[in-house]
Amino acid sequence: MAGPMEQFELETIHPIEAGGFDLSFTNSSLWMLIALGVISLFLFVGTARPQLVPGRMQAAVEYLYDFVRKMLDENVGPEGRRFAPLIFSVFIFVLACNLLGMVPWVGSFTPTSHIAVTLGLAIIVFAIVCIVGFARHGLKFFTLFWPAGSGVLLGSFVFVIEFLSFLSRPFTLAIRLFANMTAGHVLLKVFGTFVVGLGSFGALPYVFGILPLAVNVALTGLEVLIAVVQAYVFALLASLYLNDAINLH
Amino acid sequence: MPQFDFANVFWSQLFWLAITFSILYFGVVKLTLPKLGRVMEDRETKVTGDLDQAEEAKASADALEEAHVATLNKARDTARGSVAEAKAEAAKAIDKKVKAADKRAEAKLTKAQAAIDTARNKALGQIEAVAAENASEIVTKLTGAKPSAATVKKAAKAALAG
Repeated sequence: MAGPMEQFELETIHPIEAGGFDLSFTNSSLWMLIALGVISLFLFVGTARPQLVPGRMQAAVEYLYDFVRKMLDENVGPEGRRFAPLIFSVFIFVLACNLLGMVPWVGSFTPTSHIAVTLGLAIIVFAIVCIVGFARHGLKFFTLFWPAGSGVLLGSFVFVIEFLSFLSRPFTLAIRLFANMTAGHVLLKVFGTFVVGLGSFGALPYVFGILPLAVNVALTGLEVLIAVVQAYVFALLASLYLNDAINLH
Repeated sequence: MPQFDFANVFWSQLFWLAITFSILYFGVVKLTLPKLGRVMEDRETKVTGDLDQAEEAKASADALEEAHVATLNKARDTARGSVAEAKAEAAKAIDKKVKAADKRAEAKLTKAQAAIDTARNKALGQIEAVAAENASEIVTKLTGAKPSAATVKKAAKAALAG
């Protein structure tokens, strides 16, 4: 039986190499493309003929878009709306990857359970926060780390801590998502192993497999919830970091 | 954990993430969401416009009602004023008539009093004359001597006065 970590194994579908880097098309790439395809279908159908009174698909897309816009309005303010497409992209990409990973099929893969992917997304967010911050405030952007109204000694101390915590943001953002996804899928796989292991118990087949199966059903529901919540958390933190860059607190 | 096998999993995933995310952002989201954003803003403007219009209509209705109430109050005041005026006029006219009637009655009364007085005086004068004549006759019959007219008249007057 496959171990619980085997589901995170990359399988090369088409090997590509460029400049000494292995850029192979793998199952991770495939599922990112599937996510892209699902999102594209959703968005193109939903906005094919935008109308004042929306149809079902348009209402669905609008609901998500409005959700992101409200989040930006609340956390950033009126200037946050310019970044709505970006935050929306991050949100829906993470959401699609998380949810598609929940498809109970042996070939399914969750790109967001790989730290390379989540770190890539976090670096996109971090880079944009830095670019926006320095473009708007120049070197005054560093006042973000200076506690207002404190002495030089305490101030510099806090400055160092704040600066380090700022630098660690992409890693915490990436690790939070990666760890949540990985832990959930490991848990599901472990209980799945229990179902098979206990269910094939010689004297009383199937009976002992029922309990871990029930647990797995409940866990699947929980994991779907976590998939949605983690996408929301990722987008929310991205907008909070953006708020720092735009408003300096 | 396969995730930490960086040499094998890192660059290929970053590369494909960059491709898919770029297509997603520039090819899908940037093409579709602004369209939707415009429609949502149009809807917002329309809704707020309709609300404004409704508010305006309500304000004009309120103003009309206020004007109506004001007119009504004014008319009521005018009516009340004219009623009071008419009442006062009527009272004045009645007063005048009563006064005139009083005057007339008084005049009649004085006149009647005067007539009565004259008649009384006349009657009194006649009584005096008759008494004097009678007294003169009585004195003549009793004494045979005819008293002088002046004496008789004086005596009669004194007797009548007493």
